Amino acid sequence: MIFSNIFSKKKITIAYTVVVCSKCNMQRKRKFTIGDVLFSESSKCSSCDGISVIEKIFGETFEQ
Amino acid sequence: MILFLLDFSNFDFDQLFAMNDDSNPIMMLVWILPIILFVFYGQRIQLYVTSGEIKKAIKKLDSFREESRDELIDYVKKNTIPENDPTVKLDRFLDYFTIMPVDMDPNGIVDKVRHTVRAREDYTREHIRTLSPQISDFELTKVQTLLEIASSLQMIFKIVNHMFLTAKKQNNYPLILPLQMILPFIMEQAEAMNEAIPAFKSGQPVGDGIGPMIVGKMMLNCEKETISFQTILAKTDFEDRHLFLLKAEGPGSTVGRPADALEKITAENSIDTIIMIDAALKMEGEDSASVAQGFGAAIGGIGTERFQIEAVATTKNIPIFSIVVKQSVKEAITLMTKDIADKADETRLQVYEMIKDNTKQGQSVVIIGVGNTVGVPQ
Repeated sequence: MIFSNIFSKKKITIAYTVVVCSKCNMQRKRKFTIGDVLFSESSKCSSCDGISVIEKIFGETFEQ
Repeated sequence: MILFLLDFSNFDFDQLFAMNDDSNPIMMLVWILPIILFVFYGQRIQLYVTSGEIKKAIKKLDSFREESRDELIDYVKKNTIPENDPTVKLDRFLDYFTIMPVDMDPNGIVDKVRHTVRAREDYTREHIRTLSPQISDFELTKVQTLLEIASSLQMIFKIVNHMFLTAKKQNNYPLILPLQMILPFIMEQAEAMNEAIPAFKSGQPVGDGIGPMIVGKMMLNCEKETISFQTILAKTDFEDRHLFLLKAEGPGSTVGRPADALEKITAENSIDTIIMIDAALKMEGEDSASVAQGFGAAIGGIGTERFQIEAVATTKNIPIFSIVVKQSVKEAITLMTKDIADKADETRLQVYEMIKDNTKQGQSVVIIGVGNTVGVPQ
């Protein structure tokens, strides 16, 4: 018990937003920002003049 | 070789048990005292050992209770612009209890349970609105969920603490045994609830939102209408089948009332099949985010929605098919994991396949995305 507490690493979860361009289908993963909701228009695509739409929001857990 | 060294025919039992006249009385005490001690005080010793572990768990539960309360008050103060200090009122809400109807005569119990639960939800909603009359519906659903979490954690702490203190007060070890056995499961639930708070505060989709996420995407570019309380309907066609798509109204934190919606749809239309998509608890050893298909209504909760859906399906003789995405308790109520989010497209294709396999052209299908729709609009 004591050893498990000493050696256990702290886990942190970071939220990510995946945006997909509706024109060129380019995917981009960025950190989640408050106000992001699925299927909403996020920003202009960086490679064409299309609009990027939020496709996924998920969390990834890392050990510190 | 070793067998030669051991002579099994030459044991001296008197020497072995030291019960002869010249045995050492101190050694006798060393043997006998612990036996007497364990016979008369065994339970009490076990109680002390076990109570150490339970005390640690109670301390953790107390910190969860305190943190969730503080998070709730902080969120309400910062995000809803309350007219007065909401602390006293929120503390009162946290202590609200629900007395479930008497089930000695189970006839009509589902209606009674539904009435009690909905009355509580309506009451909570209206009282949150009185705290801050300008609050948006989106924020209101989030506060309501945070309040439910804080209230549940408070209740868990109180019950576990009560069971522990009663056992200790009575010096009754058997009374603490059920608590010791169930505590790991309680802690798993409590830890999941505690970790769910940031996701609901930020309006992020949770694992349970996979059903609404799939149906929400199917609804895109369709005309939508509110069919029942916090529930959205969209109609579309797929390979000459009429689809009625149902999900809770996102992106607020709600599960909607899909059973009421289904009742309305079946009253006005001839429905041939119902397909439900939900998150399901995985068994130990099963992979998270694995997809499974089956029969029957895939919907959790207290059971009233499932009862109503089953009743409608039985009366109208409509088969119910289900697709579930397996996940743990923690995954279901915390921020959606990448594995679960990645399964959305695959599951949606399975839904379309299921429609083609189980219906003929010209038939109508109701597709229900079951679960909390926080962060998932349509």
